Amino acid sequence: MKTIVSAAALLAASLLAVSASAANLVLYTSQPNEDAQATVDGFMAANPDIKVDWVRDGTPKIIAKLQAEIQAGNPVADVLLIADMVTLERLKEDGKLLAYKSPEAAGYDASLYDADGYYYSTKLITTGIMYNTSAAMKPTSWKDLTKPEAKGLVTMPSPLASGAALIHAQTLAAVPGLGWDFYKSLAENGAIAAGGNGAVLKSVASGEKAYGMVVDYLPIREKAKGAPVEFVFPSEGVSAVTEPVGIFASTKNADAGKKFVDYVLSEKGQEGFLKLGYIPARNGMKLPEGFPARDAIKVLSIKAAEALKNTDQDLKTFSGIYGSN
Amino acid sequence: MQGYIKTGNSQPAWLFPFIVISVLILSVLPLARLAMVGIWAFANGGVIDVLSAPSLWSATYYTIVTSVLGTVISLAIGCLFAFLLTLTDIRRKGLLSFFFVLPMMIPPQVTALAWVQMSGPSSPLLKALSLAPPMGSPQPLYSLSGIALLYGVQHAPLVYLALRAGLMTLPRDGVEAARLSGASSLRVFRDIILPLSLPGIIAGAAISFVSCTGNFGIPAILGIPASIFTLPTLIFTKFSAFTSRTFGDVAVLSGIIAMISVAGLMIQDRALRGRDYRVIGLSGASAAFELGAWRFVFTPLLWAILFFMLAAPFFALVAGALVPAYGVPLTFKTMSLHAFEEILFRQAVTRTAFINSLSLASATALCLLVVTVLTAYALTRRRDAVSRIVSSLIEIPYSLPGIVMAVSFILVFAAPIPFLNVSLYGTIWIILIAYFSSFFAVSLKPIVSAFHQLDPALEEAARLSGAGFFRRLFDIIVPLIAPAAGASVILVFLIACNELTISALLWSAGTQTLGVAIYNLDDSGSSDLASALSVLVVLMVVVMMLLLECLAKRLPKGVVPWRN
Repeated sequence: MKTIVSAAALLAASLLAVSASAANLVLYTSQPNEDAQATVDGFMAANPDIKVDWVRDGTPKIIAKLQAEIQAGNPVADVLLIADMVTLERLKEDGKLLAYKSPEAAGYDASLYDADGYYYSTKLITTGIMYNTSAAMKPTSWKDLTKPEAKGLVTMPSPLASGAALIHAQTLAAVPGLGWDFYKSLAENGAIAAGGNGAVLKSVASGEKAYGMVVDYLPIREKAKGAPVEFVFPSEGVSAVTEPVGIFASTKNADAGKKFVDYVLSEKGQEGFLKLGYIPARNGMKLPEGFPARDAIKVLSIKAAEALKNTDQDLKTFSGIYGSN
Repeated sequence: MQGYIKTGNSQPAWLFPFIVISVLILSVLPLARLAMVGIWAFANGGVIDVLSAPSLWSATYYTIVTSVLGTVISLAIGCLFAFLLTLTDIRRKGLLSFFFVLPMMIPPQVTALAWVQMSGPSSPLLKALSLAPPMGSPQPLYSLSGIALLYGVQHAPLVYLALRAGLMTLPRDGVEAARLSGASSLRVFRDIILPLSLPGIIAGAAISFVSCTGNFGIPAILGIPASIFTLPTLIFTKFSAFTSRTFGDVAVLSGIIAMISVAGLMIQDRALRGRDYRVIGLSGASAAFELGAWRFVFTPLLWAILFFMLAAPFFALVAGALVPAYGVPLTFKTMSLHAFEEILFRQAVTRTAFINSLSLASATALCLLVVTVLTAYALTRRRDAVSRIVSSLIEIPYSLPGIVMAVSFILVFAAPIPFLNVSLYGTIWIILIAYFSSFFAVSLKPIVSAFHQLDPALEEAARLSGAGFFRRLFDIIVPLIAPAAGASVILVFLIACNELTISALLWSAGTQTLGVAIYNLDDSGSSDLASALSVLVVLMVVVMMLLLECLAKRLPKGVVPWRN
């Protein structure tokens, strides 16, 4: 009996310890686990007095979690590092973000951050086509995916699960000659849209599907590890998100949050992203291995304000074509 | 307070009210809140919106179809094992039984992950054996029948356990009489054993059906990639696209799952009515049939089924954790321990998840033990209508799907608690309370059965000698029920450790559980890391089960589920 009682006491103590050792900074991010851990490790090495706890999920899910927490009166996140500027623009308009003018902004193109300091882009993530090296066709254009050779072999992330996928769909939908008709003919060709970019990578690399729309760094990194995949920047151009960082207005750790923003924008933080295989947003940085020269990548533009306005309608249009929930 | 004390019984006056209050908080309050929000959502004109959503009806349809199919499969496998292991002289029953119950203890999303790794063009195992299907062949498990098949595998042990309990009490003399009159084995089976075991089969079918309707891990991993949503995964995705209507919508959806579960249990109740066979005579039907030459058919069959249910998926999981990148075949050259290294030494989330799951599971098991010892004491001493109501209230949260309880607790604790102004949502405490509620019945069962075996004379003697309640509790009762208490703790610990459905909705920064960590790793495309973590979890489950096996000799019958 004694042992049970003391075990119970020990347990209660450890449980209390768990909740007492709360982190100084909570990061909500959509980076894959390994990258999130590496980012946090890099920051903690530079700022040993700050302990970071992080949560990873797809951008829409992160936002849903935030909203549920706000509704419950207990927002947990201090800093956000998620897929796209459109989502952060919406949070800014809702008054959910804290303005902070980072001195590091000087090293960035003015189009890559908010002039009032609500959010800053950290990297350039494009969405192109990946294919399994044993596939019969080597696609070079988005339209190749609607060809009979690709029938039933195409997969893409759902905008309902991925922020980058939403921007991608909105970007392509605005391209003359592609538009929503392109998505319709893809669906008629048996393409499916489910899950996030991770699911697309898995499905194409394993040969379940032959072609996928996916963010650049996943296949480029996996190819380096030996996976049988290839990434192409299609001739029409690629969409891009910039994974911005922002501080949550309700944060109780604003100083630590500001340090985090400074870190990810600093040369050191940007090198960390470069090492992970991302194109850094900061001027004058190199490109990761496996990428073509930067001016060889044609990035399609998107008007953030317009995209924000149309988001709900676009999601409905997409769900209507692909029958997802 | 006098009214609570029954004559001839010296429970302290606070005991029964304490139990009633616990039950009110853990089961009445959350369910009443759920019902309220659901009705409110309906009353506010949400009816048409909710009921006209095609996603609702397709999810309901998929839930029912997969659950019915899954139940049929689990009946087939579960009955085969129960009949052969209970009634025949097949060898190595203990070992077979241990292995057969194992899938029940493994988290469903791990089962699903393992099977995905085992089949389809993505399988590292099949690639290593050069058996992988060609590119573009669909993963066959991402389908309704795939989900149903895994439901069957996951829940077959439930059928096995339910049927076996009945078979153990079969009268041996009936079988012997038939035998002496010259009936063949088949005849004895058809005319005596089968009718008498129907209640067990029906009960098993009902438990399996209800568990299928509430399962989240399997349809989350197999269904979502194919856009097949069951009600629990639909609720999950609704939360992933949070809007102002979300709370009302999920309350209605939870209500529908609850109704399907209750309908399943009512059908069982109906089917069992009038089947109350009182059997008199020598019970214990051990080895009523000698297999003879049939042994060479059945023994390999059972081991082959176990191989496909356990060994092959486990090896596939290990293979999935060892490949360096997707699509690379596993060979001795390509093999890499990177995933294990990353999981064990780099990922902070692994440590957080292990600490959270282990402390949640231990806290749930130990705190519930204190409550259930008191509850079992009170319930076995006073057998009146109120105590019967209390015991069925304890059963309700356990028989409802975890996602329903999770939604209920979100609704109760979403807003800060009045007066205290403390918010539980987003903290580890809301998960703990939901676990208390869901696993109360699991913790109670072994303790109640131990209390039924207690001789009241001992305690009575102590009371006459003037020993107070706590004195009697610690000196007489606790030592006598200690083995059952140990079993209760381990069972609750095992189930809580592997839980996903509840924590999938309730987790937040720093409160990830093992189940959530595995699901999230797979979801972000790191299925090598998810596999590595799953391998560790499976090993932990096996160790816990072995511990329980060692404890088994000192336990009342029926407490360790897979033992005779």
